[in-house]
Order: sequence, then C-alpha cells, then structure tokens
Amino acid sequence: MKALDLKLARDLWRMRGQALAIALVLAAATATFVLSVGVHGSLVATRDAYYARSHFADVFATLKRAPRSIVARIADIPGVQRAEGNIIQYATLDFPGREEPIRALINSVDEFGRSRLNAITLRKGILPRPEHASDVVVDENFAKANGLGLGSTVAAQIYGRRQTLVIVGIGMAPNYVYALAPGDLVPDERRFGIFWMGRKALEAATDRREAINTLSLTLDRGASQAEVIRKVDSILAPYGGTGAYGREDHLSNAFLDSELKQLSAMTRIIPPIFLLVSTFLVYIVLGRMIRTEREQIGLIKAFGYSGWAIGWHYLKFALAVALLAIVLGSLAGIWMGQAMTRLYAEYYRFPFLTYRLSPPVFLAAGALAIGAAALGALGGVRSAMALQPAVAMSPPPPPVYRAGTVERLGQLAGFSALGHMIVRHVARWPGRSAITVLGVGLSMGLLFATMQFVDASKAMLDQFFARSQHQDLTVTFTEARNEHAIHALAQIPGVLRVEASRTIPVMLRLGARSKRTAIESADPASQLTARIDGTGQEVALPPAGLMLSRQLADQLRAKIGDPIEVELLGGRRTRSVQQLVRIVDEVVGARAYAGQGTLERIARDAAPADAVLLRIDPQARTRILTRLKDMPVVLGVTERQAALEKFTEVIDSNILTMISFYIAFAAAIAVGVVYNSARILFSERAHELATLRVLGYLNSEVAIVLLGEIALLVVLALPLGCMLGYAMAQLMIAMFSSDLFRLPYAATRASYGFAAVVVLSAALATALLVARRVMKLDMVRVLKARE
Amino acid sequence: MNGKDVALDESLAFRGEGLEKVYQTGETSVRALRGVDLAIPLGEMLVLLGPSGSGKSTLLNIIGGLDRPTSGRLFYRDTELTALDDRELTRFRRAQIGFIFQFYNLIPSLTAEENVRLVTDIANNPMEPRDALELVGLADRCDHYPAQLSGGEQQRVAVARAIAKRPGVLLCDEPTGALDSSTGVRVLETLERAHAELGTTVVIITHNVGIAVMAHRILHFRDGQIARVETNEHPVEPRQISW
Repeated sequence: MKALDLKLARDLWRMRGQALAIALVLAAATATFVLSVGVHGSLVATRDAYYARSHFADVFATLKRAPRSIVARIADIPGVQRAEGNIIQYATLDFPGREEPIRALINSVDEFGRSRLNAITLRKGILPRPEHASDVVVDENFAKANGLGLGSTVAAQIYGRRQTLVIVGIGMAPNYVYALAPGDLVPDERRFGIFWMGRKALEAATDRREAINTLSLTLDRGASQAEVIRKVDSILAPYGGTGAYGREDHLSNAFLDSELKQLSAMTRIIPPIFLLVSTFLVYIVLGRMIRTEREQIGLIKAFGYSGWAIGWHYLKFALAVALLAIVLGSLAGIWMGQAMTRLYAEYYRFPFLTYRLSPPVFLAAGALAIGAAALGALGGVRSAMALQPAVAMSPPPPPVYRAGTVERLGQLAGFSALGHMIVRHVARWPGRSAITVLGVGLSMGLLFATMQFVDASKAMLDQFFARSQHQDLTVTFTEARNEHAIHALAQIPGVLRVEASRTIPVMLRLGARSKRTAIESADPASQLTARIDGTGQEVALPPAGLMLSRQLADQLRAKIGDPIEVELLGGRRTRSVQQLVRIVDEVVGARAYAGQGTLERIARDAAPADAVLLRIDPQARTRILTRLKDMPVVLGVTERQAALEKFTEVIDSNILTMISFYIAFAAAIAVGVVYNSARILFSERAHELATLRVLGYLNSEVAIVLLGEIALLVVLALPLGCMLGYAMAQLMIAMFSSDLFRLPYAATRASYGFAAVVVLSAALATALLVARRVMKLDMVRVLKARE
Repeated sequence: MNGKDVALDESLAFRGEGLEKVYQTGETSVRALRGVDLAIPLGEMLVLLGPSGSGKSTLLNIIGGLDRPTSGRLFYRDTELTALDDRELTRFRRAQIGFIFQFYNLIPSLTAEENVRLVTDIANNPMEPRDALELVGLADRCDHYPAQLSGGEQQRVAVARAIAKRPGVLLCDEPTGALDSSTGVRVLETLERAHAELGTTVVIITHNVGIAVMAHRILHFRDGQIARVETNEHPVEPRQISW
C-alpha cells in the first residue's frame, strides 16, 4: 500500500465516528432510494406481467341487463380486439357462528374454459365445471382469512335465493388486485370475497338466462379508447349502461396506480433530503480536516506530490464514506423493501409479489451517493489542491473575530464571557452554523411531515366515518325499492331510525370535459349522513343545483355558477343542465350531491331508494342482522363499525412500520449533523477549552461552551423544522392525493411536539457523547502545543 | 531551603516531599521527576532553570494543580494538594493560581477585557478587568481582540488575566519565550509589578539565564532533580535585563 493510502486508511480509522455519522445519513438516502424505487419497480413489473398474462381488459362497462348477443355487436366496433360479457352479482354469505354480514361479489366464468379476459389464476383446484351449478372459485385472501379450502361449502343468499356453494378452486384475477367492498376504504378480506361461478349456474341463480350485466374488452394496438367508449355507450344505452370506462377509472387498477404514485412521490421527496444533508456534512468535515492538515499538505507537496495527488487523496476519503453508505444503505433498503412488499402482499392480490433486486436500482443509488459525497468534497479538495507548500507550512492566520450585530445583541443581553464565546463562534462560522441549523431542521421537518401523515389519515377517518356517517348499518337492495321496503325495515324490533339513500349514475359534462360518477342524495331531515368540508363544517345539500367535491370540480375545471350537463345513465338517457352551486372539500373520492328535489327532476321520477341507512339498538344487533340475512330483497349489509375498525387497523399497522422507519431516518440526520458539528467544534476549541480548565473552570462549566453552541443551533433549528415540516407535509399531500383520496392537512400540536422531542433527544444524546471528551482533555499537552 | 522539613510552616506557600513523576509512554517509562523536595516561601520570586526535559515544567504543572505526582506529597499552605480530587484541584486553581504561558493562550473570540473577565467571572475577590489591564499598561486596548494585538500585548493581556483574580501564586512557563528582548522586558516588568504590589508568589520557568537575575532564588534542574539552589541577595529590576 502506498504511504498516502496508508494515511487515508488511518485517517478514516481516526475519524471513524464522524465518517460513520456521515455514512449513516448517506445510507438513509441510499436505503430510501432502494426502498421506494425498488418496491415501485417490483410492483410495476409484477402488475404488468400479471395484467399481460391474464389479459386484463382495457375497457369495462356495466349495464342493467342485455342479451348476450350484444357482445358480438360490441366486438364488431372498430378497434375492439376481444369482448366478453359476464354477470356480476353481489351476494350475502352465511357462515355458521358468524353474525356479522359477509358479502361476496360473484362473477360468471365460462365453464367450458372459453373466457380469456381477466383470466383467473388458479392457486389450487379447478374452474367451475359444466353441469355443476354449485361449483365456485374463491379468491385466495378471502379463503385464507376465513379458513376455506377445496371442498368447503358456503351458504349464500344470491338474488334472494339460498344456495349452497362448493369451493372447487382457489385463485385470483387481475380485475380484483385490490378488492374493495362498496362503502369500504380498505379491503376487508374477512368480510368481503370475490367468487367465480359457472356462467349457466349464475344465469340461473339470477334469472338472467343468456343475458349479461357487465362487459370487458381489449383494444387493438393504436385504437382510440375514447372513440370505442363512445360507441359502446351508445350501444349499451338502451340496456341501462352506466357508461364504459378505461383502466384508469377501474377501481382496483386506480388504487394500484395511486399507490405507485405515492411511491414515486416518496422517491422524489425523501432521498434528496438525505443527499443534501450528506453533501453538507462531507463539506464541513472534509473542510475542517483539510484546515487541520494544512501543514502536512504543504509538506507532502514539498516532497513533490502534485496538487492532483493531494486532491485525489482527500476525495478518496469522501468516496470511502460513500462506499460504506452504499453497502449499509443497500442492505437496509433491501430489508425495508422486503418488509414493505410483504405489507403490499396483504392488500394487493397478486399471484406473485416478490421484492426484486434490480441492479440498475443499486447502480443509480450508488451513483447518487457517490455524487453527493464528491460534491461535498469539492470545496475542500479544491482548497487543498490550491495550497502553496510554503504558505501551507506556516501556521494559518489566527481567526479574526469582530463585533457585529450578534455582538450588540450580546451586550444588550448581558452575556458572560462564555456566552460571548458561544455566540461569536457561531457568527464566525456562519456557513457551518447554517448547515447545522438546516440539517437539524430538515430532520425535524421530515419527522413532522411523517407524523402529519398519520394525523391526516386519522382526520380522514374521522371525517369519513365519525362525522359524515352516523348509521350503524347500510342495507343495499337487490334493486331499487320504494317506501314499502323501507317501512318493512323500520318494523324490525331494535331498529331506531331508517333513512333512504339515493344514488343515480350520471355522466357530468362541462365544455369538453366529462366525468362518469353518481349523484348522491339524502332526506332533507337526514340525521344519519352529513357532508363535512375541509374545515370540519357540516354542509347542507343545496335546495337546487349541484354540489361537487373539490376533486370532481377540479377534474371538470368547474367553478361555482357553471352550468353542468347531467346525463342520466343506466336507464333512460335523459339530459338536463344543473348549476354548480357549491364545492365541498371532501377527503374521499370524487363525488356529486344534489337535494332530493333536484335528484327527482334529473331522474324524472320519484327516485326509489337503492340503499337504506339504519340506526339500531346495539343490544338487538345480532337479531337484526339475522333478520336481514333472511330478507330476499336485501343484497348486502355493511356495518360501519367493522369498516372503521378495519381501516384503523390498516392505518395502525402501516403506521407502525412507517413511523419506526422515519424515526430512525430523522434520528440518523440529527445524530449525523450534531455529531459532526460537535466534533469539529470540539477539535477547533480543544485549545480554548483546555485553557478554561487551566484557568479554574470545572468540567461541567467548560462543557457548557460546547453544549451551549450546539444547543443554540438546535434551538434555532426548531422553528425552521416546523416550517420545513409544514412545507414538506403540504408537498406530500399534493403528491399523494389521487382521485380516490385527498389527505387533509391536519397536523396536531402533539406531532410538532413529538418531532421536536425526538430531534432534541437525538441531538442531546449525541452532544453529551462528544462533551464527555471534555473530561479527557489533557490540559498540559494541549497548552504545550501552539494551536 | 532545600530541606526535608514539611512540618506546617506558615511562611511557606508550597512544601513538597519526595515528588516523583513517571510518564508511561508505550513500553518505555520516563522519570520526569526523581524525588524532588522543595519549599517555596510566600511572596518569593523563584526561577526554575534547566535544559528541556529536566523536569521543571513537570514540577510547575504539579504545583499548579494541572498534574499529579506519581508519588510524594505536596502542600499549598495547609492544604495537601496530593490528596485532592479533580474537582478540588480545579477549585484550587480557580482560587489560587494564575498561569502565564509561552503562547499566551488567549481566547481569540474574546476581547482583551473579556479574556480577563473570563477569570474575574469565577473568582472570589477579583479586580475590575479594566484595572488589571491598566496594571499591565493596556487600558486603551480593552476592546481589541487577540488577533488585533501584538505578541507582547497579548502576553500582557495574559498577565492581566492571571493577576486579575489576585492569585496567591503566579506560575509562568517561558513567559518571554516567544517575544523579543524589549517586549519580553515589558512583560517581566508587569510580573514584577504584580509581585511587588500584590505580594504574589511568582514562579518562572525559563531557558533564559538572563532572566534569572530578577529572582530571589534560582533552582537549577537536571535529570528530574534539583541540581543546585542559588540564592540571589540582590535581585535586579527587569528593565536592567536584556538578552
């Protein structure tokens, strides 16, 4: 090994604490990059392979009922590659000993194996056989969650009829990667399952002989999706078509897209923060190292080493730190990526979802880490290269302190001599002080932004479940019912209140923009539902005109007062124009509302109820649920409490993983920044600190000079951290919002507090670690040497 | 007075008996002090002379409470320094000792006056920092930072800092080592003035035989021992010295 490389190795060992502290921050950059890009890549690759292999359709349509022959007409539309018609039907299941409502969405599948689109991937067993009316395939997550296997039987109430189903296969399909029950926000694999039944059997069970109520199609390469959708809609209009839509509006696919969007948002926000802090740390540490080794550099140059050789020597120090960071970060990234992929596998139903190690991801992460370290080294390396040997070997000019603004403040505050030492040192090195403040501020900001995420999810939960829904049960009917059915429900003992809920599928248009959605309405005197806007205020349904959620209004670029064209779907294709009278800031979905009168004018009839909301006596829950299961008109029952609990459970388990990662990351920044600042401070001031000891200052008093400066910088960093945190949180909200969710900004004071406490603790522990060196100061040796 | 009598004598500032100091450096040990006995009377001006490595700095550090002997006992008046712990030694330095070093050891971020205040802030009965600077002839440089002062001026600030707490003892390690002759003399004059006006015991280490003539006594060091004690009946005033 060359002598200069030996020096490098020993320098690294001597400065191992500082090198490791920088490496940890840089490793966090590598880890988050490997994590988010890696998981994103795995998810995209898995999705694409799965979609291609199982022929996930490009366009989807639902309708009331059409003869099967319509499929051929659809297939003849130019640009359509293949079209398949099926039946989908919600059903309630009856598990012995389980009183809570369990629902299934049953899909028909060709029992002769002629179905191609949205193909089932069988895990076990076989597809439903012809002439075996009770054969079903069940989705794997539901089967696992409910202990079902091949040969298990399930009692189902389909279209008002009881039927026993026999499980012959367990599998999954690409149109139910994210299988969400209506009214739920997260999949509940215990209470909602996807079933596939033979076509003939489901036709018979639902009185739809040779009829369909859903269509899937794939398109030729280069075909215009919009054009095909327009033609499909016009063919399906007489059959109660509710408007065809592409993959982007397909619920399962949209959830997956929103997850991918969040991952790429994370890639763009988190690793850059760590990279920035690492660059700064390398800059200050290497800068200090080169200043202290000034005379050595002069000597080495005097021996005949070139400026480049010296520059390369110090650059290698930064690169060595980067290499360590790449190794640590990659390992951590892989470990976290696997944990996150496992988490995804719980919610997304893929036949395979593994965390793939892709070399380009690691190469990119490594390039970023090396780039950040090299950038940080640039300033120091250039100054080392530029040093003239003769100048370098003479001691550096003493640091010049001058009275400035800080000084006058100090005079006013009546600082002690130690106070002046602290404040003037901060002012003497403004760049480094600013880096410390910024680094600690970023650490706190990152932690705060993460905590705000938790708060936002809880606020969303509160708005969606606690404040806007007051019913205990939601009962959906097999088809829209009138007052009679509602009255019958009200008669069940224990039912305290019944309210009808009306939803009609519509197409909204404004100018060239259109959006397929549904208009919701409720009784004017409704007690069980409320619409809550962003400020937490309850918003009444307008007596006339439409109210849109902010999401939907933005998509249509609609302003209050704009005339919105409303086309009724799923039956008579009536059109009317309604004025947009109000925009409401809601957290979930892109929704439209109207008062009952408006809804009836749009529908041109006294719109019947397709669902009712019930408030019940908790004592009577079991009895009521049992009664509802036996009612043929009831399609399904959703329990608000169960949905709320499931969502809370998901948030809690995700949060635990996420928060522990981010506490570790934020602490890594705080520790890295504070440790390096404190070590540099200590090395710069060792001479002064020893002098103070000689003059009769106690260890604890001397430590104040060290800790005081760190404390001052950390305290300055706290308000900055709050501001950075606020900005990062807003950025994350903007980047994470999708059609499905819009997170509210809902930071609690506890989050600011928690972020501050974690950062302060990390800073304090680190500073104390360095302050212990004060105890070991060798007064005699330090004073013998000229600084 | 290089006697073995360590009984309580109220006229003595320091009394030491059998002071040994062994430095362990790696596998070799260096005996910096080899059984030194000494007695320094209150108010004495004492010079320690000797070549590098003869043990004089080690002794100065030990009597200043910066270091401990490996064996032997040392008293300052009626306090046994060798029995004190770290904290008590610090308190002793704080109360009794003023140090002056070859390289001044001023805090660069503090002005001359503030450097003095560093000591008066923690002393029991200090002077006003400005009075101390006045005593060394730097009253007009109070607000200057070390970088704005010459070497001699910086050393005089160090002297002001050392005397401002009215210490019992001034310990000076090569106080003129980094200064030219005329500047050095000015520093010695301020030391002499502190000694005369405050009655402080002064111990000066030097290589410089020329300085020794201002002392009451001169201890010659060689190989960790006091080789010879020289008593000076007629100490010379600093302004008559040059080198």
